[in-house]
Amino acid sequence: MIHLMRRRAGIYAAFAGMVPKVFLAYSMWFWVGLVLNTIAMTILVFFWQAVYSNTTSIAGLDLNQTLTYILLAQIFAPLIEINMIFEFGYNLREGGIAHALLRPMDFQSGMYAQHMMQTFTALLLQIPMALVAWLVFGLRFPHDIQAWAVFVISALLGRTILFFFDWILACLTFYTTEVWGLGVLVYGLSLFFSGSLVPLAMVPGWLQTLALATPFAQALYVPLSFLTGITPLSQAPTVLAVQVAMLIAFGVCSRLFFRVAVRKVTVQGG
Amino acid sequence: MTRYLNLYGLFLVQRFKILMEYRVNFLIGASSTIFLQVSSLLTIWVVMSQIPSLNGWSYAEVLLIYGLITLAKSINHMFADNLWTIGQQYIRTGGFDRFLVRPINPLFHLLADRFCHDGIGNFLVGLVLVATASRQLDTTWTLSNLLFLLVVVLSGGLIFIALNLITGTAAFWLMDAVPVMRVVFDFHLFAQYPLSIYPRAVGILLTWLIPYGFASFYPASYLTGRSLGGLAWLAPLVAAILLLIGYQVWKFGLRHYAGTGS
Repeated sequence: MIHLMRRRAGIYAAFAGMVPKVFLAYSMWFWVGLVLNTIAMTILVFFWQAVYSNTTSIAGLDLNQTLTYILLAQIFAPLIEINMIFEFGYNLREGGIAHALLRPMDFQSGMYAQHMMQTFTALLLQIPMALVAWLVFGLRFPHDIQAWAVFVISALLGRTILFFFDWILACLTFYTTEVWGLGVLVYGLSLFFSGSLVPLAMVPGWLQTLALATPFAQALYVPLSFLTGITPLSQAPTVLAVQVAMLIAFGVCSRLFFRVAVRKVTVQGG
Repeated sequence: MTRYLNLYGLFLVQRFKILMEYRVNFLIGASSTIFLQVSSLLTIWVVMSQIPSLNGWSYAEVLLIYGLITLAKSINHMFADNLWTIGQQYIRTGGFDRFLVRPINPLFHLLADRFCHDGIGNFLVGLVLVATASRQLDTTWTLSNLLFLLVVVLSGGLIFIALNLITGTAAFWLMDAVPVMRVVFDFHLFAQYPLSIYPRAVGILLTWLIPYGFASFYPASYLTGRSLGGLAWLAPLVAAILLLIGYQVWKFGLRHYAGTGS
């Protein structure tokens, strides 16, 4: 039993281990990403400074709190990066999906291992961005160990919820075969509903409720709100319990949906 | 000129025949960019509903700036999107050679080869934003104002195209110029908001070096009655100069095209 488990863990680890190599193969994009992120940060910092030039507080947040949140949201942006719609679409077109389904391993678990490693690698590559935020924009990193601990747990749960959600959306491509529009739509909505452009605390009640119900907010805003003090740590047990419930619900739905949708797979070529 | 216009019409008809083979995909693609804009617009709405103005610019005025840059961007998106794909789709595959043996300008052929329907969504969003903003601002649409709007939107679109042409030409050496293009292209994000909120250096950069300011901030300043002097009318000249530079750079790149042997 233990031998079998170790063998399986080894297989998934091998899949995950390929991810950093893929990242390293495109080093030019790393540098370009650094420039693009710096541009985005610069715009956001000056935008928020202009916003606060007429007021000292919005929804209980002052300029420093908002800037800390916004800069951290940019640094931790890989938490909401999803690409399975395009990945499934590509594999359908090229025929790679057939190989993936025939492998003697659980397809979803393999993809999960890869995606978590992708997120981890992308976060590591954000270190220079964190330095830019610290040195250029004066970001002061939170130093409450407990807040960091809750952040890590919440981010892991949120990222996993988002993975299952992404998986369900990707299964839709088995029916539509079109991926571009759906991918762009989801990316567009993720920017706002994750709270990466504006802290969701500032959003009107009904929209905030809607946003918090999305996996995007669970992957970025919810963890970051603990780290930046927007949500008190005393609420951590309740919030984390909600995340666990969402994780189970999305996890079960993703397995069930895949089981039905996979019957519709039609490879276009390859 | 007439020959090229007729040819463009023929290319466009063929492209739409292809697109109409997959009507749902066409509709999804054309509307997808609308959703891409939703996040930024929701952010502006959330923020502007809590403050009276952004550095002296009201909500409607900020929408006007955003609408103008979106309209200009949509011109580039619809008619010159192929500049993004020249490296991956044409040079790397050897497909670019096809353009060189045909009796038409290779740049024209590249641009006419694919009308990008995704830009339609951007165009509609820009149009709705400019219309909404001007209604809230009680803008009087005189003939000269309408003409001004038409000229600045077209000029803005040409500025986008010219900058992409300059950076996209790098594909003749790099095989894929997208990273280079993205770095310059993303500077247009500054011009989605009033340039007055940034330090002076950013304003100078967005006016004289990467002049996206002429696609949004300066025309919006003119339309909202802010004093600008000659800057308000410079957009067509800036676009013409940039296009001229862009075309020379393109021709220089073309002379150094060696193919990939694919």
